Amino acid sequence: MTLLGEFALWIALPVTAWGMILGYVGGRTQRGDLVLSAERSIYASFGLLTIASIGVTAAFLNDRFDYWYVSNYSNANLEFFYKVTGLWAGQRGSLLFWATLLGFFAVICALTNRQKNREFMPYVVGVLQTILFFFVVVLLFANVNPFERLVVNGMPMTPADGRGLNPQLQSYWMTIHPPTLYLGFTSFSIPFAFAVAALLNGRLDARWIQLTRRWILTSWFFLSVGIVMGMRWAYEELGWGGYWFWDPVENASLLPWLTATAFLHSIQIQENRGMLKVWNMSLVLMTFLLTVFATFLTRSGLIESVHSFAQNLAIAYIFLGFMAAVLAICTVLIVYRLPQLRSENQIESFLSRESAFLFNNLMLLGAAFTVMWGTMFPLISEAVTGQQISVGPPFFNRVNLPIGLILLALVGIGPVIAWRRATKKNLQKNFQIPVGVMIGTGVVLWILGARHPLALVTWSLSAFVLTIITTEFYKGTRARARIEGEGYALAFIHLITRNRRRWGGYIVHIGFVSLCVAFAGAAYNTDARFNVQPGDRVEVTSPYGHTYELTYDGLSISRGMGQRNLIWQAIATVSVSRNGKPLGIMTTEKRQYTNRGTQPMTEVAINSNLQEDLYLILSALNDIQGALAADSDAQGIDLQVLVKPLVIWIWIGCLLLAIGTIIALWPNVDRRRSSGVEPAVEPALAGAD
Amino acid sequence: MTLYVGVALVTAAVVLFLLHPVIQGIHASLEREDDELTETEARKRVALLALRDVEYDFLAGKLDEDDYRTMKAKLTAEALDALAADEAAKGAGSHTGTAAIEAEIAAIRQGIQVGVLCHDCGYNNPVGSRFCSACGRSVAEPVPS
Repeated sequence: MTLLGEFALWIALPVTAWGMILGYVGGRTQRGDLVLSAERSIYASFGLLTIASIGVTAAFLNDRFDYWYVSNYSNANLEFFYKVTGLWAGQRGSLLFWATLLGFFAVICALTNRQKNREFMPYVVGVLQTILFFFVVVLLFANVNPFERLVVNGMPMTPADGRGLNPQLQSYWMTIHPPTLYLGFTSFSIPFAFAVAALLNGRLDARWIQLTRRWILTSWFFLSVGIVMGMRWAYEELGWGGYWFWDPVENASLLPWLTATAFLHSIQIQENRGMLKVWNMSLVLMTFLLTVFATFLTRSGLIESVHSFAQNLAIAYIFLGFMAAVLAICTVLIVYRLPQLRSENQIESFLSRESAFLFNNLMLLGAAFTVMWGTMFPLISEAVTGQQISVGPPFFNRVNLPIGLILLALVGIGPVIAWRRATKKNLQKNFQIPVGVMIGTGVVLWILGARHPLALVTWSLSAFVLTIITTEFYKGTRARARIEGEGYALAFIHLITRNRRRWGGYIVHIGFVSLCVAFAGAAYNTDARFNVQPGDRVEVTSPYGHTYELTYDGLSISRGMGQRNLIWQAIATVSVSRNGKPLGIMTTEKRQYTNRGTQPMTEVAINSNLQEDLYLILSALNDIQGALAADSDAQGIDLQVLVKPLVIWIWIGCLLLAIGTIIALWPNVDRRRSSGVEPAVEPALAGAD
Repeated sequence: MTLYVGVALVTAAVVLFLLHPVIQGIHASLEREDDELTETEARKRVALLALRDVEYDFLAGKLDEDDYRTMKAKLTAEALDALAADEAAKGAGSHTGTAAIEAEIAAIRQGIQVGVLCHDCGYNNPVGSRFCSACGRSVAEPVPS
């Protein structure tokens, strides 16, 4: 199976090349037979890439340590589950996985467009096959072939066992986080392909945007959820109590998210006002390049990162070349089509929703630029001074906090401000109550003892935004209930389902507010470290004022005998009570895995509620050898106790984000179709706001 | 051996699958489909959409009465232009005469003053609308011509 997979990858090379050439030629010469053949090449490529992926997975399951990739990312004792997901555990498999996912989306795109959008399809197929061709070339020729045999000193070799998977990656979050992000990265290729197709066939109205709106949202959905899953993994698995460290690879996934978010907002201006056509083209191009850049950054090891794999300069040059070529060709196309990309309207007033959207775009792009700059700074500094100097979280925080706050304010301002022109008088009227609530929240929080300025500003602004969105929901529901005579619950549901895009968007915004509220909570993190012996009792005061009493009950050791690659496991048990009321027992561990000679890993204990997380870390054992020998004098540990307010609202916010996006994505069931009224108007109307 | 047979089969299947349309001359359509909006229809839709936005913003108290009036007048004129252009474009293909279009526009113009009630929520909409400005439901009636 593995050998067949390897052959399939080779066959995919001419097949993708064929589809690429025939797509463009067929589109240019308007020859339907060539286009049909090109479309079929999409199905064939996906089939071949799937066979190749199955081949790699089979190599993992059969412990084929004669393959370089398998021997470096697996071993015989690895759990079955992690062998299956070995496909995306490392650089080589990930690239194949990326290509396979893109193939999958390309197939969906080809299947759903067999009867429609035919004028776009030749070029869409051409572009998608170009991207696939590029990835197949990388896989085969950039020294990253997952099917490469292990060769030592020029001799093929089959080691008795593999080196195993990095223990940090042995987490269920790690098995779903990369695929989710990859789904987001790869699905964005479809809007990009449609944009390029529009540039090639000259159909430059908002059509390509309407056609790909669902794809854009789908991609955004996966990107958002994937990023938050990565945060969750860092929070649970890395064992230092944080969820975001402005790590290059985190940044790399954030970059396309920022530009995609900007794009989601600016397309509404093009759809509603016929403006910003060049801007939208540039944003879709930028986002696509950034998804490739993210893949490249993760997989090149160019910048030190917790995720990076081996350094490989060949692949760096190939990726950079590809991105430069895409950028150059698209720029030429945009310049060539400039006369057709002129704006149909102008912004009428500074006080209008258009300009709010524009401002939102500027902020998001500003954030993207700073993140990009900070991420690339080590490389830039290396080029200039010869030393890699990285900028730390303070840099990113200083720049992005104000941007985040402005964006948060815009989330509130946007819905209340009218398209085209809003007057001051109106704004004053509409903002009175929300601003009142904002100030009130600030004052109340101040009285309650919150003194951190940024946190206060964030929470007050959040109250402002929530008031506005709630008012919108309330007004809409009340109007429906009154006019239709429906109950409030029913009116509320109908309100959302009648204009999913608008109200789904608001729900996403509530999710964003939830995230901001949670991030601001980090200003009140507390961190206490104790060295404790069994029976010792320590106290930690939460920022809310209550006290946690923690009693260290003792250490239990279990030896893994090699199962699940565990050598030993030291479990510290801590009884926890809050203001004297027992909360239960929490356990935090150190684990020593067999592979890679790594340091012992930490498993943290988290007790989560809506207010805060109590986060316990077994930082160190006083005497490892003694503890392993069950020496009763060697039970002392370093225990780190963190109290982290509001963290749970990150996950809740992500859930709201996901729900809102799904609502906006849900296809419109057109009930009027049967009554003979023209249905084509409805989807556009759904997006009117 | 099985491997080589497998590889040969996969390769042959792929080659046949790809070459089949070219050899047999099976053509995929490259035409724009019929139900898609034409350029004038799209313009008309955007214009009507803008009218709806203004209505909605006014209703939600986001627009002043003065601004609402000026903008509505301007947008109505734009919408009528777009409607006329759309009808003209359609007229070229069908048998609708200029007189009929004039009549229709007149009807719409009159209707904007008179208004049409949404059978769903009862809101008074301009006749040109195909949807209710208040609740977003379709109010389109077959326009008499």
